[in-house]
Parts: sequence; structure tokens; C-alpha cells
Amino acid sequence: MKKIESKVSLLSGLALCLSWGFIASDHLCSQQMVEQDLADSIDPDQIEPDQVRFFESKIRPVLVKECYSCHSNEVGQVRGGLWLDTREAVLAGGDSGAAVVPFDVEASLLWNAINHIDYAMPPRKKLSDQVIEDFRTWIEMGAPDPRTNPQPSIKTTISAAEIEAGRQFWSFQAPLSVNVPTLDSTWPQTPIDQFVMEKWLVNGIETVGEATAETVLRRLCFDLIGLPPTDLQQRRFMRDWKRDPQSAIERQVDELLALPEFGERWGRHWLDAVRYAESSGREVNVTFPHAWRYRDYVIDSFRNDKPYDRFLLEQLAGDLLPVDSDQQWQQNLVATGFMALGPKVLNERNARQFQLDQIDEQIDVTTRVMLGVSVACARCHDHKTDPIPQSDYYALAGIFSGMTTHYGTSVNQQNRRTSKLIAIPGVDEAKLGQPISRTEMKELQSELAKMRDDVRDLTRQRNRDRNRSDTQALQRQIILLTNQIGSLQSMLDGYNRRGEPVAFCMGVQDASPTNQRILERGELNQPGEFVSRGFPQVLCSEPTKISRQSTGRLEFAQWVASPQNPLTARVMANRIWQHLMGHGLVRTADDFGATGDAPTHPELLDYLALKFVEQGWSTKQLIRSIVLSKTYRISSQHHEANFQIDPDNQLIWRREIKRLEAEAIRDAMLAISGNLDRQRPTGSLIAEAGDGRVRGNQIVGAQLKPTTVSTASTSATGRERVAQAVLGRISEGVIQPKVTSLDQVGNYRSIYLPVVRDNLHRILEVFDFADPSIVIPQRDTSNTPDQGLFFLNSEFAIAQADALANRLLDAEETLDRQVELAFQLTLGRSPTQPEREVIRQFVEQFEVHVADRGPRRGAEQRRRNVRNDGSNYFRRQSEPVDPAVTVARQREIQHKKLSAFCQAIMASAEFRYLK
Amino acid sequence: MSLQNLQSPFPVSSLSRRRMLQSLSSGFGYLAFSSLATLAAATDDRSLKDQTSPLQPKAPHLPAKAKRVIFLCMRGGPSHLDTFDYKPELEKLDGQAGRGRGRLMKSPWNFTQQKSGLWISELLPQIGRVSEELCLLRGMHTDLPVHPRAMNQLHTGNVQFIRPSLGAWTLYGLGTENENLPGFVTINPPAGSAAEYSSAFLPAIYSGTPVRSNNRPFGLAGGRSRPNRRSSGNSNSYPDISNPRLNDGQQRQQVDLIQSLNELQKQDDPQGTIDGVIESYELAFRMQTAVPDLMDLSQETEATLQMYGIGNGPSNNFGQQCLMARRFAEAGVRFVEISHNGWDTHNNMSNQLPNLCSQIDQPIAGLIKDLKQRGLLEETLVIWAGEFGRTPHAQNGNGRDHNNRGFTTWMAGGGVKGGFSYGETDETGGEAVVGKCHIHDWHATILRLLGFDHQQLTYRYAGRDFRLTDVYGNVAKEIIAG
Repeated sequence: MKKIESKVSLLSGLALCLSWGFIASDHLCSQQMVEQDLADSIDPDQIEPDQVRFFESKIRPVLVKECYSCHSNEVGQVRGGLWLDTREAVLAGGDSGAAVVPFDVEASLLWNAINHIDYAMPPRKKLSDQVIEDFRTWIEMGAPDPRTNPQPSIKTTISAAEIEAGRQFWSFQAPLSVNVPTLDSTWPQTPIDQFVMEKWLVNGIETVGEATAETVLRRLCFDLIGLPPTDLQQRRFMRDWKRDPQSAIERQVDELLALPEFGERWGRHWLDAVRYAESSGREVNVTFPHAWRYRDYVIDSFRNDKPYDRFLLEQLAGDLLPVDSDQQWQQNLVATGFMALGPKVLNERNARQFQLDQIDEQIDVTTRVMLGVSVACARCHDHKTDPIPQSDYYALAGIFSGMTTHYGTSVNQQNRRTSKLIAIPGVDEAKLGQPISRTEMKELQSELAKMRDDVRDLTRQRNRDRNRSDTQALQRQIILLTNQIGSLQSMLDGYNRRGEPVAFCMGVQDASPTNQRILERGELNQPGEFVSRGFPQVLCSEPTKISRQSTGRLEFAQWVASPQNPLTARVMANRIWQHLMGHGLVRTADDFGATGDAPTHPELLDYLALKFVEQGWSTKQLIRSIVLSKTYRISSQHHEANFQIDPDNQLIWRREIKRLEAEAIRDAMLAISGNLDRQRPTGSLIAEAGDGRVRGNQIVGAQLKPTTVSTASTSATGRERVAQAVLGRISEGVIQPKVTSLDQVGNYRSIYLPVVRDNLHRILEVFDFADPSIVIPQRDTSNTPDQGLFFLNSEFAIAQADALANRLLDAEETLDRQVELAFQLTLGRSPTQPEREVIRQFVEQFEVHVADRGPRRGAEQRRRNVRNDGSNYFRRQSEPVDPAVTVARQREIQHKKLSAFCQAIMASAEFRYLK
Repeated sequence: MSLQNLQSPFPVSSLSRRRMLQSLSSGFGYLAFSSLATLAAATDDRSLKDQTSPLQPKAPHLPAKAKRVIFLCMRGGPSHLDTFDYKPELEKLDGQAGRGRGRLMKSPWNFTQQKSGLWISELLPQIGRVSEELCLLRGMHTDLPVHPRAMNQLHTGNVQFIRPSLGAWTLYGLGTENENLPGFVTINPPAGSAAEYSSAFLPAIYSGTPVRSNNRPFGLAGGRSRPNRRSSGNSNSYPDISNPRLNDGQQRQQVDLIQSLNELQKQDDPQGTIDGVIESYELAFRMQTAVPDLMDLSQETEATLQMYGIGNGPSNNFGQQCLMARRFAEAGVRFVEISHNGWDTHNNMSNQLPNLCSQIDQPIAGLIKDLKQRGLLEETLVIWAGEFGRTPHAQNGNGRDHNNRGFTTWMAGGGVKGGFSYGETDETGGEAVVGKCHIHDWHATILRLLGFDHQQLTYRYAGRDFRLTDVYGNVAKEIIAG
């Protein structure tokens, strides 16, 4: 391994510290500075008596009289996220940063505001010069402030003994190696079968039959790559099956596991779990144009069978891992996007609240997805059911607060919480974006500077006199200009100094090691004592060791991804089982705690978990051993006696019938119609749309106007004229709206569809896509009339039916063979005689109306497709043959009839359900 | 509703239905089947009535009058001080320093005492005339004076997290009355408000179905023609509700083909999934007629349209939504929400508020009168609420700021006392002091009116029993009639 340190330190330098407009540029800083400021300020116990007197006589009365009505916890007002009624709150500050920096007047925003520089407080009148001078004195003496919150003492109700007892809970114990049962039966073929059958024998379950070859192939194809078998695959599989089913399956499985489509299928399962989306959701729904890199990273990880422990390590602490190449470094950084992708309340006024909520979201997704326990429950109080005291939550929160989260988003009037992005090191293979010339770059930068000056001027004008007649017009212009600055800044940030596009990703970077204070009821203004960084005690047999210099994140990642962790391998093995078999062995995939379901087959679960680790955490190997079992192959048939014993199928006596997921339905329809584009698109529709807000079914972003930059002069005299000039230039501007419709998607696989929170693509919404705003352990499989309407009426369903009909007409000449092909493609089997009969009747009776037009081009070439045996499949028997019907028209009639049939077969229940 | 409507061309035999119910309890195709076949099952086979299914009409815990809800959601925080919370003291204190910054401001509008005894602002004369049906809750308060958070709390009880909406809980608790329609409909929700009608962790089937009305001016003076439901894009819309290509006859042929293919697979359908799909196509097919018909207001009489203020005036838009809400409610939709935007009157209230009130006054009065004359008001709970109220002191001249500490909502019908006022704010209207009703209490009360003990209506998620009221909630028993 090469030198680590140099890369890592270089990294923080390369992660461009972009400034996102002055309004938001200090957010991140203010978050990190809190602890620092507290340390620099005067300890309340050491304030000199005359300092106390000064504060009580000169400062406190002013704060109470002039500020508390909008900035105090007691009154309940938090304008600008700023409280001024405690020492801690004053130092922590609000949206724009620390209100007071001890000893430093210029850095104290409170000073700025009472002098009406960039801010104007109190808004309607300026304090007297004497009072302002008092504040200077106070800040310069270190802002001594005797007002402290009595620190609540937060006692846990969970004793050490209870935690020790909690460690005995099944899932917190290491998986046990159990001997595979030996059964007196020829049925089992693999250890999995032995474990399953043992339970049957104990419970009096009878063995049901096996699924047919067609069904097994269909299961394999959908389960492993999310697409229906092709006719070629079917022919070969049937041939192989006749010789030997087991080797036919092995051959097929190995082939499917090697396909790139495997990554798209299994990557999507992971994206479900980690609430992947390309927008922030919540109140200010803005795009994440760089999220797709994480999506592709996940797909590639499953494609390449990246060891699962490594996969987790990269997502939790990729930025801290040693690297051998730029490419690996890129991957590791992109992997940490896992942390940054969550939904966000971007209009949160209070920076600290925002940070705590974000940490909470990160802890929740990490622990539920990777460990199958819900630690976030302990944010406000001790966990109700698992022995996780509240302090354990804050121990973990300390680790998670030792990083900065980079999710981007551009400044706009609602977005108070933008962040930087991480620049990707090395060469970006995606090569998105066009370079711009240095001249244009310079012009845009000077335009941006001008806009900044303008907004500052306008703000100062507004602050100077709020009773002007045009205050509202000014305010509107400030908003407009602020939004434009945000857009232009984020565009410019997309280029380096040479005007070449810079590639970014979302993710996290290490910050300084921090311990968190426990917060009573999880409330920001109720801080208790500091808690040392650590992991949930009940999951650790030994106390956590984290060095003072380390944030603890790498240690945490290593602990999660360790074979000694009792949960990690079990939780993933269970997820894999769930995706293949319909239910997990533990049916609550994200809850292995006391309130979760107990495993139906604890020995089998441990066997799989141990095997998973033993085989190098190989997802493909674990999948392979499950699908090669006989258990995978059992029939989905009902069995009355078994049903009476085990109606919930906990003993896996039959195969669960699975409804295909939204993606599988859409991809299969495209594959069948011949429209599927198997290439991975570069980026995503959201990347093309860029930074913008979600508005209904559209992304509204910004783009540069094609014309060159306006160069209006600002050299006007008089404040009013400055304002006029500014207004004039804004209306010209260099930025114009860019509107991207979310419906403009290609025929690529569904995993590449844009995933916009609260605005899912229609087919995803109708077929129970996992809501990316919350952690969904298992998707719904509803059956709603909206699904029926989708198959009957949607443009998509009709387009695929039309394409399939053309495919049938081009490939086969007789209706019989067209129907045969349609069944093979859609359902993976031949039609039965009764089915042929109803379809034949339908095609005969279905009335179509075709305008009488002349023969079209290409009619000659298609002539061969027309039946010439005189049969009348395509017409009513009673209809007289019209000699004027042209060949082209004949084809059009056939096509309409066949298309109606094609739509029906894709709409049939069998297509949607995997037996 | 008539049972004939539920007949599919492929009648499901009692026997297979029973078998399905048994096997479905194991989970697969459960939603499928139960959403569709329950009514028929319950009717022709009483023994099966106890079988649980997500949308089956369910009896609540306690006797109650309200069977459904129409929620009139006023977005932005309507000023209680200028509409429903009469403050004579504030008139006297007008111009004096308030507790916050700014001077206290009396309502620029007169209040009159109605026959019902309630004092209502002159901005809402029509609502005043139906005030004998109104039950004012004047002691409301909520946690935060921030729009999105407070709006989230109004809908879900929680200010921060994604939680099931009041409508989703109602549907979860009561099931649906009309299997031809979604059970929770929200008309014209604003973009980005999905969390307000989501089912969150409740099964997806309980989430609200957004419906768009186009609110074009309605030509009362002729020119009204029944829109062709096949024409797409120019009428009130529901996704994929009409086929752009096939006529009714052709589509019936096509659906028959789908159903024949499904029928032929039924012998191989141990878990009842195919029966579920068969029923879902019949419902989808019926919805194609039922939903656009419901959304087509042109069948209403001229008198009705006038009653709702539908025409070219300011109330046309909201009037159409109110009328559509009545049509949905009448057809058995359990929870209908309609939205009215623009109540965030930080400034220029003297112009804004009369405009806003003129948009809702006639439609809401019309809705209450119409429900009453149809005998629906008694079992329909009409709720009027914004996310918070406004301050007694002025802002930006004649505006008012957000106020979460005291505001007014009201209810009508559904078993509440009419012409009744409960709760009070302090003398200036700034803070609730008597009969205080937090949003949690409000939710508990609504659930009680629907027949639920809010502590008992729970759903297990992530290892914990969740409820709409979390660990809070006191029922305002005083407002429940006899």
C-alpha cells in the first residue's frame, strides 16, 4: 500500500472550499465554531463582579427590551434562528453565524446589526450611540455573560446490568456455527434444504412439488437481473433442463450473475434501503444533480461483487481510507454520498438544529440499514425496548458530528442551508458539461461581483429606511437578485480557473473530533453533560476505543464492517433472502431488536451469515447458494394440510408469489416490446437539469442567456438612481430559467429514471416504489385500480403494445404463431388451447377503424407479412371483402388488433406476478 | 350503494372467496383482494364479515355521528382576529404597544352577532348566515409559528417527521364506503405537500389520492355542455382515467380479453392474487366513468352552482372545489381535503383579506347548506382550519405576523354543537387562555367525533405502536352534541 497520509491531506485541499454566495457562505463555519467559541469565551463562574454589574446594568436591559420579543426562547420567537437569551445561544448564533465573537467586535454579527451595516437591528430604529458603545465595551471585554441555563442532569433508566443482560439477546450474540442437520430423505440437496426440511419434519409439513422449468427460469431471470428470459435463453434452458435440471440451473445462474444487468437489479435493492434520491424533498424541494454518481457506484459495486464489508467501509468512511489510484479515490469519495443523500429541511432557520437533524437522519439510516437496530429512537429518551440509553445515542452523534456533510444545492430565498460539494480527484470519465472561454468566465465573475454589490446596496438602502414607498419593490428585487446570484454562483462553481467543467460528488469529509452534549428530550436548548464518542454498548463486548485525535468514524466503520459484529452479516444475509424468497427469515429487515420479529430459522440465518463472511462477504456467492437450493425451486401451489398448520408460511413450505416491482414491470415491458435501451445513460435527467427547484412535474433551474453579458454601468449618483440602475440590469440579466420536464425520460432501465422526492415517476408511484424520504425495509405490493388504469390507458402501456405488435408482425406470418411468440416473450410459456381460442375470437371481433388512405411507402416490403391464405382472422366473417383495401391498410388493421391483444397480455395478472 | 355495480362478468363464487380470505391472510394479494371484494363478501356471506381487510368498512370504537370528513384547509395562517375571534378589548387598545414589536391593531372590520349568538366578521356574511351550524374553537394553539412545520403538524400531529396524515388515519380506521372510488381524496394540493396526505408507514392504500380540478370559469349563462369524458387534457383530471384511443365498446372487449386470460389462470391461483387483479380491472373500468362523472360539475343545477358561488366571480375557483368535495363525500369518499392558499397576510391586509374572504364565503356557506338539505351534514364533519393564526399587533402597516399561540378553527355537522363557541384567547387575541386546544387535542377530538378513542387507534411500525396524537391529546368533549 502506498503512503496514505499524503493522499488524505491532499484530499481536504482538493475538496474545493466553494463559497455559495455570501448569504449562506458562513453556515458550515458557524456550525463548527460553536464548540470553539464556548471554549474561548469567559467561563460564567469566572466573571468578575464588575463585569456582572456591567452586563446587568448596560447589556441585559437592552437585550430584554429591544431583542427578546423576536429572539428569545421564552417568547418563542426565533427570527433568523437566533436566540439571545442565554450565553450559549448568543455564542452559537443563528442562520448567519455567531452573534457575538468574544473580544472581536468586527466578527460579531450583533455589532454589525446594531450598527445597521449588513443587518439592521432593531429594524425600525437605531440604538443610541451610547448603547452601541456599551456593546463594544462588552464584546471587547470578552462578552462576559452570567446567564446560563441550569444544566439538566439526565439520568438513564437503563442500568449496566440491564445492558449486560441485553447482550444475551439472540441478535446481539455472535452467530453460532451449527452442524447441518442430517435427514433421512433424498429431497434436500444443499445445507439450506436440510435446515428448511428439518422444520417441516418437526411440524408435520408435507413436501410440495417443484416448480416447472419455465417457472424456475422466470424466477431466476427476474430475481437476478430483473428482466424476463429471452426466447433464446428459454430454448437453451429447456434443452438443458431435460438433461439435468441442477446443471441447467447452475449454468443459467452463473451466466446471469456475470451479466451487467445483475448490478442494476441488486443495486436498486440497496438504493431502496439507503433512501437514494436526487432531490432534497421536504419543504424546499431542490435537486441533487450529483447524486447519480452514488447510484452508479452502487450498481458497479454489485456488478463487481465488491466484498460487502468493504462496501460498507467505503460508504461510512471512504474519505478516510488509503488509496492506490485516483480511480479508487473517486470511488471512495462517491461512496460517502450514502451519508449526504437524505431528505433535508433546507429552510430550517437554526443552523445547529439543522445539523442535529441531519446527524439524526444519518444515524437512523446507518443503524437500521446496516445493523438492523433503531438507535435514533434514543435521541430524546432511553430506548423504550432495547437497552440503548440516551447517552449511547449522543456517543454515536459525537462520531457523526466529526464530519461535514456535502450535498450542494444552490442558494435561493428559501434555501437557508446550502453546502459545498466535493470535487472529484483525477479524470472524470463521465465528462459532463462544456468548457467556457476565459473571457466569458471573467465576464460572468465580474457580473457576479456586480450583482453582489447591488444586493448589498439594496439591502443597506432598505435597512436605512424601511418606511420608503418602494420598500416592497426593493425587497422583491433583493429576493430576485439573491436567487440569481445563487444560480450564477453555482454555475461558476462548476468550472475551474481554466473554464473546464469540474466534476463533483456528494459525500462527507472529516472534521475535528467532537463530543456531543446529551440533550434533554433531544432539545437543542436543554444541553446536559458531554458524552464521549462511542458505539452502542449493548452491541460491544468491550468498551469502545477511540483516540482523542480521531473523530471515531473510521473506527465505527471498521466495527460495523467487522466479522465480529453480531448483526452486520446477519442483516445482509436476511435482506438477500428476502429479495429472493419474498420474506426475510427475520421479517422485519430493519429491526433485529426486541420489537422486531424473531427469526423463523435462526440456525439457517446464522449458517448463511457465517457462510457470507467465510466466502469473503461475496453477495454473488450467497445468492448463488440460495438459488441453487431446492428450497428456491419449490412450487407456489396451495397445500391445504400445510396451510392449516402454517397459514403464514413461516416454515417456507411453499414459494411466496411475488408481485414484480415497478422497475421490473417497466423494464420487462420495454424488453418485450424491443424498445429497451440497455446502455447506462451518462449522468441522469437531474444532472442535466442542474441545480433547481422541483415544481410539479418539472425542474426549474437556471441557465446562462446565450447573448453576452450586459455591461451596464453602476456609476450613478444618488441612492435612488443606483437602485434604478440595478433594477434595470436585473431585468436584462445573464441568467434565464431552464425548465426540464421529468417526463422526458428515455427507454433506459428504470433504475436510471429520475428519483425526485415527492414527485416520483408515475409507474414507480403506481407500483409501490419505496418512498425515498423514509427507510422502507420492504416494499408494499399493493394491487390497486390505479394499476389497472395504468395498463389500460397510459401512453407507456400503449406504446409498448404497439411496438410488440410490430415485432410480432415482422417476425411471424400467422396469428397462431404471433400469439405463440407473444406468450413466450411476455409470459415465458406457450399459450394453452383455450387461451388460443379466446384470443382468436378477440382478434376476429375487435373492431378497428382505419382511415382509407393510399398505400404507404414500404408497403411492398411488408406485403410478405400479410396472410394470403384467405382466412379472415382480422375481419368479421360477415364483412364483405373490400377489394379496395390496400396492403398497407390491411397491415394497419392487423397492427391495431394485435396491439390491443398485446396490451391485454401485458395487463394480465400472470405478467405481473412471479409464481 | 347498489350491489349490481359490483357484479363482475366473472362472478366470484362464495367458496373461492372464502378460500382466498384464508390464504390471503398470509399476506400476498391481501390488499388486492380485500380492497375490492369485501362489500360483496360481507353482504352475501355474513360469516366472513369479521375478516380483516384494509378498506373494509369498519365500525369504530364508540358510537358516533360523523362518518366522513371534508377538510377545508386554509394555507398561510388566516387571521382569527378579523374573521371568527371577536375582540372588543382590542378595539380599545388599538394603537397601544403590544407585547411583541409593533402596535396593537384592532380589526378594521365590524363584527356582528348572528342569530346563532356567534360573532362573525362582516367579511364572511354568508358563513354568518349559516353560523347556527358552526362550532368555533377559539382556543387553538400549535407548536411553531413556521408555515411548513405547522402545516405538517396540522395534518400529521408531528412538526418534523413524515407521519401518516389525518386522512390516512381516518381511512385506516373506518375503511371506505364506496369501492368505486379512492377513500381519501385531496383536491388540488399544492406542489411539495405530499407529506401532508401521505400514509407514511401506514399501508400505501390509505394515502390520499390527489385530484386536479381545472377551475376554469364556469359559464352560467349558457354555453355549458357536458364534457366528453374521452377527451383528455381539458377537464378535471385523474391520472390515466381515460383511454386516448379506444371507445367504450372497444375497451370493454379488451378488458374482457384480459379477464378471460386471468380466468384461465385461476386454477393455478392458490393465493387469490388473480381474483384480486380481476376485481381491480372491473373497478378501474367503473372508475373511468365514476371519477370523471363525479368531477364533472355540469350536471348540477343552476341553483346549486349559484349556491356555491360558481360562475365568473372570485368564488368560482373555490366554489368548484367545494362542490366537488360534496360530490365525493356524497359518493362515499371517507376523507376529502380541499385547499385554499394565500392567507399569509403580513401586509396590506385591508386589501388582501376581503379578497380572500370573498373567495371562500359563498362556497363554504353553500357547502354547509347543500349538505344540510341533502341530509348529509349530520354525518359529515366539515372542518375549517389553517396552520396557525395571526398576531394582534400590526406588521408592515396593516398586516399581522404569524401567531401559533392562539387562533381559531371551526367544525360543522358530524355531531358537533352548532352555534357554539368553545375556548378563548386573552383580551387581545394573542394567546389561548381558556378551553385551550392544541393540535393534538384537536386531532383527538376529530377522531372522537368519528368514533375513535385516539389512544386506541394505533399502528405498529419500527417496533412501536404509533398514533396520530403521539403521547398527547385530550378530547374537547364540550363541543360534542348531546
